[in-house]
Amino acid sequence: MQLHPRHFGRDLREKLVAKLMKDVEGTCSGRHGFVVAITGIENVGKGLIRDGTGFVTFPVKYQCVVFRPFKGEILEAVVTMVNKMGFFAEAGPVQIFVSNHLIPDDMEFQSGDMPNYTTSDGSVKIQKESEVRLKIIGTRVDATEIFCIGTIKDDFLGVISNPGAAA
Amino acid sequence: MSHRRGRDDEEEEEEEELEPEEDEEEALDEEEEEGEDDGGKNRRKRRRSEFIDDVAEEDEDEEEEEEEEEDDYFDGGGGRRGGHRPKRRVRSQFIDEEAQVDSDGEEEEDDAEDDFIVDNVTELQDEDDGRRMHRRPLLPREDDQEDVEALERSIQARYARSSHTEYDEETTDVEQQALLPSVRDPKLWMVKCAIGREREAAVCLMQKCLDKGSELQIRSAIALDHLKNYIYVEADKEAHVKEACKGMRIIYGNTKITLVPIKEMTDVLSVESKAIDLSRDTWVRMKIGKYKGDLAKVVDVDNVRQRVTVKLIPRIDLQALANKLEGREVPKKKAFVPPARFMNVDEAREMHIRVERRRDQMTEKFRQPGENGDGDMASLSTLFANRKKGHFMKGDQVIIVKGDLKNLKGWVEKVEEDNVHIRPNVEGLPKTLAVNEKELCKYFEPGNHVKVVSGASEGATGMVVKVEGHVVIILSDTTKEHIRVFADNVAESSEVTSGVTRIGDYELHDLVMLDNMSFGVIIRVESEALQVLKGVPERPEVALVKLREIKCKLDRRNYAQDRSKNPVSVKDVVRILEGPCKGNQGPVEHIFRGILFIYDRHHLEHAGFICAKSQSCLVVGGSRGNGDRNGDTLASRFSHLRTPTRVPQSPGRLPKSAPMDSRHRGGRGHDPLVGTTVKVRQGPFKGYRGRVVDVKGLSVRVELESQMKVVTVDRHHISDNVVISTPYRSVPRYGTGSETPIHPSRTPLHPYMTPMRDPGATPIHDGMRTPMRDRAWNPYTPMSPPRDNWEDANPGSWGASPQYQPGSPPSRTYEAPTPGSGWANTPGGNYSEAGTPRDNSHAYANAPSPYLPSTPGGQPMTPSSASYLPGTPGGQPMTPGSGGLDVMSPVVGGENEGLWALPDILVNVRRSGEDSVIGVVREVLPDGSCRINLGSSGNGETVNALPSEIDLVVPRKSDKVKIMGGPQRGFTGKLIGIDGSDGIVKEDATLEVKILEMNILAKVAQS
Repeated sequence: MQLHPRHFGRDLREKLVAKLMKDVEGTCSGRHGFVVAITGIENVGKGLIRDGTGFVTFPVKYQCVVFRPFKGEILEAVVTMVNKMGFFAEAGPVQIFVSNHLIPDDMEFQSGDMPNYTTSDGSVKIQKESEVRLKIIGTRVDATEIFCIGTIKDDFLGVISNPGAAA
Repeated sequence: MSHRRGRDDEEEEEEEELEPEEDEEEALDEEEEEGEDDGGKNRRKRRRSEFIDDVAEEDEDEEEEEEEEEDDYFDGGGGRRGGHRPKRRVRSQFIDEEAQVDSDGEEEEDDAEDDFIVDNVTELQDEDDGRRMHRRPLLPREDDQEDVEALERSIQARYARSSHTEYDEETTDVEQQALLPSVRDPKLWMVKCAIGREREAAVCLMQKCLDKGSELQIRSAIALDHLKNYIYVEADKEAHVKEACKGMRIIYGNTKITLVPIKEMTDVLSVESKAIDLSRDTWVRMKIGKYKGDLAKVVDVDNVRQRVTVKLIPRIDLQALANKLEGREVPKKKAFVPPARFMNVDEAREMHIRVERRRDQMTEKFRQPGENGDGDMASLSTLFANRKKGHFMKGDQVIIVKGDLKNLKGWVEKVEEDNVHIRPNVEGLPKTLAVNEKELCKYFEPGNHVKVVSGASEGATGMVVKVEGHVVIILSDTTKEHIRVFADNVAESSEVTSGVTRIGDYELHDLVMLDNMSFGVIIRVESEALQVLKGVPERPEVALVKLREIKCKLDRRNYAQDRSKNPVSVKDVVRILEGPCKGNQGPVEHIFRGILFIYDRHHLEHAGFICAKSQSCLVVGGSRGNGDRNGDTLASRFSHLRTPTRVPQSPGRLPKSAPMDSRHRGGRGHDPLVGTTVKVRQGPFKGYRGRVVDVKGLSVRVELESQMKVVTVDRHHISDNVVISTPYRSVPRYGTGSETPIHPSRTPLHPYMTPMRDPGATPIHDGMRTPMRDRAWNPYTPMSPPRDNWEDANPGSWGASPQYQPGSPPSRTYEAPTPGSGWANTPGGNYSEAGTPRDNSHAYANAPSPYLPSTPGGQPMTPSSASYLPGTPGGQPMTPGSGGLDVMSPVVGGENEGLWALPDILVNVRRSGEDSVIGVVREVLPDGSCRINLGSSGNGETVNALPSEIDLVVPRKSDKVKIMGGPQRGFTGKLIGIDGSDGIVKEDATLEVKILEMNILAKVAQS
């Protein structure tokens, strides 16, 4: 699974693992999602020398913790940006967009210094840094990124804590 | 005619049963029609006695038809045809059976009379008369206020006439077949006539026919709107046609008259009649009559009688109504169409019209939509009504929108012509159902990833955010904007695109050079144009450019320095410290002329691109290009930059050091060597030249020019400054350079020279070989004779400009290489070697050498950079080498000649590449270089700069400008507008407004 240049020598194996971690952790694959951490190496196969370059490819089997959001999953996320089309939130590496169509109708966009969505009575406010609980309704998986669309237009979804309130 | 009309004083709607008249297609027999008619009349009378609804009549006569119901339209003709069928059948079989088609063909134009004339030109006189009489009552559009009695009479007359009409709408295919033209029928001839006068020709023929009576033996003449230059004439013999056309100027009877083959005859006049399915609540547009063009809502459809009741905003001519009530005769104005508005009771009363208030169900029900948002809704629905169907694909999720099975969801199993077989998602139903595609609508759920397959935003992909009936709202993947599209225009897809991403050679997010020497990143590709975010750091400037306005794609990998002089390369993550986008951060996508294009995914505008000066940015963390996450930035940057000076010092360290590793991981895309042309200096392929396709560690894969083969060569064994990117490199002169003993003496790292540097490095080599070169870098060296010559020509001495003096910023980097500014060392490294007296190409060297080394940043401007060399001091032809060199630098040489150097203009001084400083030209030295006071108002320090180091400051609207080229050169004016690459300038002296190219306009300093 890993392509590797010449780190041959005594600690080839360690180098390989270190490189694997460096290369793989934090990346995102469409099939598995974000690789959060490598928990263990199962085995390292025989290296295959690439013609012409001298590089060696080792198949490495490893176990890791992955994060992959699914449709219908409820997540808690931090709002990163609010605009008139909706807001963006991040749950770890995943970016989630909540369209204004998927924000309860009684919440309205307020532009200004700190754009936010506020209910008519002003009791609930979604702004940057707010924590929201949302449901993922769609995911788009690229080679290197997962992008989700979420909704807070449902029971028990919405703001769970506000930076303003905390401060 | 049945004409039910409910009108109250307050009534906001008007219903009308459209007059179908006696259409051939109408499945209605004569008696019924008449009975109905009577009923209609009675009702109308009754109504009239109840309230003052005289408007009824006015509408009565209008042939209000639905847009789609074209067929109604020639019904007058249809009836008539029916009435005269026996006669015509004798006369022209063809016309007859194709009658419906025939008039259909002409139907495209709206004007009934027109058709009538055109396609029946050759009717015999008597019939023509008859038709006219017959026709009149059907076209009383102008005499709206016809007397009721007259109307009744006319209607009676109409039906009396048409009482012997045979309706043959039940014709079967076989019967139809029998009606097709045969060899015995008159033939159709195609006659050439003057372009644009086809109709006229047909009318003339008709007139001729009328005048000459039966002498003329042609049967008909037809002009088709879609056929230019020809008319059809129906006749038995060609001679008849010739005879008829004789003496007519607009018909070229002498030219060949072509016979239309029998098989094609029907095609001439066939138009597939559109069978439009109207249903309640659809929106339609009236096609003719007083309400022509108005939107109406269908409130009732009578399929049997082929009529629909529509509701629209009435256009009541109260004045006319009042006139009529009072018995006044008012000359009718033809063109007057009363404005569409709801009835105003008071207004009516003022006119002494008795108004009664009544309320019926319809009125109540439809008032609301009639009042608000009518227009908006309507347009949408009209669109929907007209939408193109037939793009269901197997597997599509659909929902039934009409009929008994409404709201049933399912998947498309099979698509036939009009029917779609769906597999319903409900248990207990047959496995597949055949549904008319008109009753289906694609169905999406929020979260589905879809692609727009037709319509304005075709090609875009995104996720469904909301479904509103037929409209789905999509969040576009690339622009992160909402798109509203019809569900029918969307297909489910996992693909991610932003729609079209390519036009010609240019792709989304490419850096391109525009016509007027500005540059930018393509942020959006539309069907014919591109949106480019221009490289103007002060503000986001987006230009819509056409393909032809783009000069070239800039594909160079350049480097810049950030605020703290750290090198920035593509893919490095930088944070913007100044300017409108302060605080944003993202990877650098492009670098050009010290301007960075940064992609910030949080930035919603301009597809996430931000344009900023490299100076106002700071590299965040390590250079990402190295892929080094563990923060070994120093080492990684080394490797990344491949500082030549550094490596030679520790050649042995290289192979096993970390940089090696990270270089590899940096990805080939990052290696500047890739794509360059190199020459193999050692090994089995010695002497071969080729293009680098891949770089891996110390080996380079080279695609040989002479052999169709890719070979792997040690990196040390190639000389990459063969770079044939500039033509003059291949000149023999070069050979002396690269193959000189200098080369082997080079450090192993030398080949790492980036292509960017090469064009620059090249002249350096050459230049350095001149004696003068030394002088430039060693001010204490006595001037040599050649130099003096040069000086004569350029009193603004080279040495005077700070760049050339040691100790000035550029040379500092040379003398004291720091890791951070490693790249700047490169030229320095060269100097030391090249400065050796071994080189002897002095003549050439003079010009380029002095400034080239000092402006490594200038070179990144790739395509034109080479041209600086020749053009150096203002593109003066006196430069020894420039004559020949100019050839390969047509761009700058040509354009800039004479553009530069006018006092008082604002310029950007690009010294040592990055730190482009604004300044005011104070004086232009004869050699073309300028004395510039730095600062936007010119109160900073004074420097000298070469033309190649200065850029005009592009003026903005309402700036004072100086015209830099053309006959008006030197004049000042005010830029009153910008139109693409042209600026509209009002000259100060003459007050004339001129349109000039933007690139010859320079902003004048505010003093």
